[in-house]
Amino acid sequence: MRVAVPALALALLSGPGFAQIGNPGFMAPDTRFESPGVPAPDQPNDNDKLFAQLAAEGGLAEVALAELASGKAQASAVGGFARRMVEDHSAANDELAGLAEKSGIPLPDDLNPEHAAMRARLEGLEGAAFDLAYMRGQIVDHQKTAQILIWEINSGQDGDLQRFAAGKLPTILERLQLARGIVDELSGVTGVTPARGAEPEAPDAE
Amino acid sequence: MSRAVTVGMCSILALAVSAFASGADPLPPGTTYRPLPAMPFSQAKAIDEAQKPQVMDRQRGMLEARYDLADRPMDGVMMSGGRRAVQDGVRVRLPEGQTWDSLAEMTPDEIREGGLLPDGFKPLPHVKQATGGQVFPRFVIDEINAQESRDLTRFDVDHDFPDHLLPEFPPPIFLTTQPHLGDVSRGELLTIRNHYEIMNGLLTPVQMEGLRILLTPFPQEEFNQTEDRKSAEQHRGVACLDCHSNFNTNAAFHQTPDVRPQAARFRLDTTSLRGMFNQQIHGSKRSLRSVEDFTEFEQHTAYFNGDHISAARKGEHIPDRSHKVAFMAQMQNIIDFPPAPKLDPFGRLNPDLATEQELAGEAVFMGKGRCAECHIPAMSFMDQQMHDLKLERFFEPGETVNDMVLLPDGPIKTFTLRGIRDTPPYLHDGRLMTLADTVEFFNLVLGTGLAQDEKNALVAYLLTL
Repeated sequence: MRVAVPALALALLSGPGFAQIGNPGFMAPDTRFESPGVPAPDQPNDNDKLFAQLAAEGGLAEVALAELASGKAQASAVGGFARRMVEDHSAANDELAGLAEKSGIPLPDDLNPEHAAMRARLEGLEGAAFDLAYMRGQIVDHQKTAQILIWEINSGQDGDLQRFAAGKLPTILERLQLARGIVDELSGVTGVTPARGAEPEAPDAE
Repeated sequence: MSRAVTVGMCSILALAVSAFASGADPLPPGTTYRPLPAMPFSQAKAIDEAQKPQVMDRQRGMLEARYDLADRPMDGVMMSGGRRAVQDGVRVRLPEGQTWDSLAEMTPDEIREGGLLPDGFKPLPHVKQATGGQVFPRFVIDEINAQESRDLTRFDVDHDFPDHLLPEFPPPIFLTTQPHLGDVSRGELLTIRNHYEIMNGLLTPVQMEGLRILLTPFPQEEFNQTEDRKSAEQHRGVACLDCHSNFNTNAAFHQTPDVRPQAARFRLDTTSLRGMFNQQIHGSKRSLRSVEDFTEFEQHTAYFNGDHISAARKGEHIPDRSHKVAFMAQMQNIIDFPPAPKLDPFGRLNPDLATEQELAGEAVFMGKGRCAECHIPAMSFMDQQMHDLKLERFFEPGETVNDMVLLPDGPIKTFTLRGIRDTPPYLHDGRLMTLADTVEFFNLVLGTGLAQDEKNALVAYLLTL
């Protein structure tokens, strides 16, 4: 049982309740602290605010585009992916909205111009062309999301938002890998995206 | 201009815009660039100082959960200078209910899905990931401060490993140009204060000038004159050999300059400069093709994290390529490995000098263990390549540990194994404490299925290199 004691200590020190440790040099001079170096809760810096807004924009777009894809997807893998997106992001969007409200961060309630343009473009596509364009867009969106989550983990100072980012990152990376695999399949590429054993199955795929 | 022409031109313009701009915003600047400080220095310093014990406790908790950090030296095995014992045994802790053999029998998928990769095999976080930067062991700080009145203490963090798991200090120096002399360090740490007395008569004028520059402090990200620093006083900076003590390593660490955003930057354990003459690629990620390139560019990278913009503000020193860089390179290129009397000119064990166990270890190294496929004996136990061990086959990427995001490492340079007992901890980030740990790590990652006597023989062999 020599592992148990340090593991417990670790859980206490770095578990979900523990705030990330930032560089105070980069914090605002009027930051209020709960303890040295740990900003009082719900006190977002500019990075937290931008992160929350970007993540919310991304989440809105994921749901909107996935709803479109649910009706238009030809390949079953694409339909399954879209349903998974609706499920993932509806829950995450609600969670994010709660955290943002607590911290007084206004969130967008409509698609940004980039995603509105993407939706317009996807609306004009059908069949295999739609599948590929939607899934390629998903790769880019998940790549961007992964990078802003990683950014928030060190550059934010709102502990709740940082933990939200850390909590979501593994899922986003997994979905990115899934999207890469689907695009490979749709475009006839083999042997590029590493297979990861059993692929996560879409929760409500037929 | 007619209306038709105007409309036509507008359409062409619109087409051009849509062709050249996606209309998307770039990711925030802080994902790539270092911000400017906002907090007054005195206030940031007070906060950092007050938080330091908590930062160190968190890191110690993580290390103790991963490793057995006890002082358990190998019986009668010292590092080359005789100043520190080599540590014994496997130190990475196993997941509950597993043995090394049970793990070795599983597939990577089974280990990943069961969450069974020992945490000590995963990337090792910097003691303070969000701030990062160079961190020196206390014994190095004390010696440099004693000689130069230059204090490399940081007010926000300390080094996180116990001394007995680090390289000996000061390490011996062997010169390719003076093989008959053996260690020429006189048991001293080379500094800007003593190097001339110790080295005059052994070096050429060009080498001496190179050495002088390698020992001259220059401003660095955490040690400089601005408010964006982690030293109490305005600081003269850091010298190349502050980390590469006597051209070996003292296990000072920082973060890779080559990755962003900050939370994804992996830790880098200082590499030894011994055997530089045979090393063709430099930097664990950058693969710079000459030590001249590396020497010149370190002012942007080890010193300033690959951010030349931050460097410009703090005072970077780019040595003149045609003269100073060449001098520094020539000095580095005469640093030899410690002698390995049991090796023949091809790097193979001389059977008349080696023990049976060492010879058995060499056989594993060359065969079943697959070590020599990259660590080629005749090439100073390197292959001048970068390789991707694909460790992410064994764990789910994206977990955050002490503010560091654990991601796949991607290709990393093959490091030499000559003098390997002198340079713990091991792997590019120092995640492995002992040679026995490295044997277990590669046995699992390469799926070589070694038996315990083969593992023991391999460790015995590595000690001869």
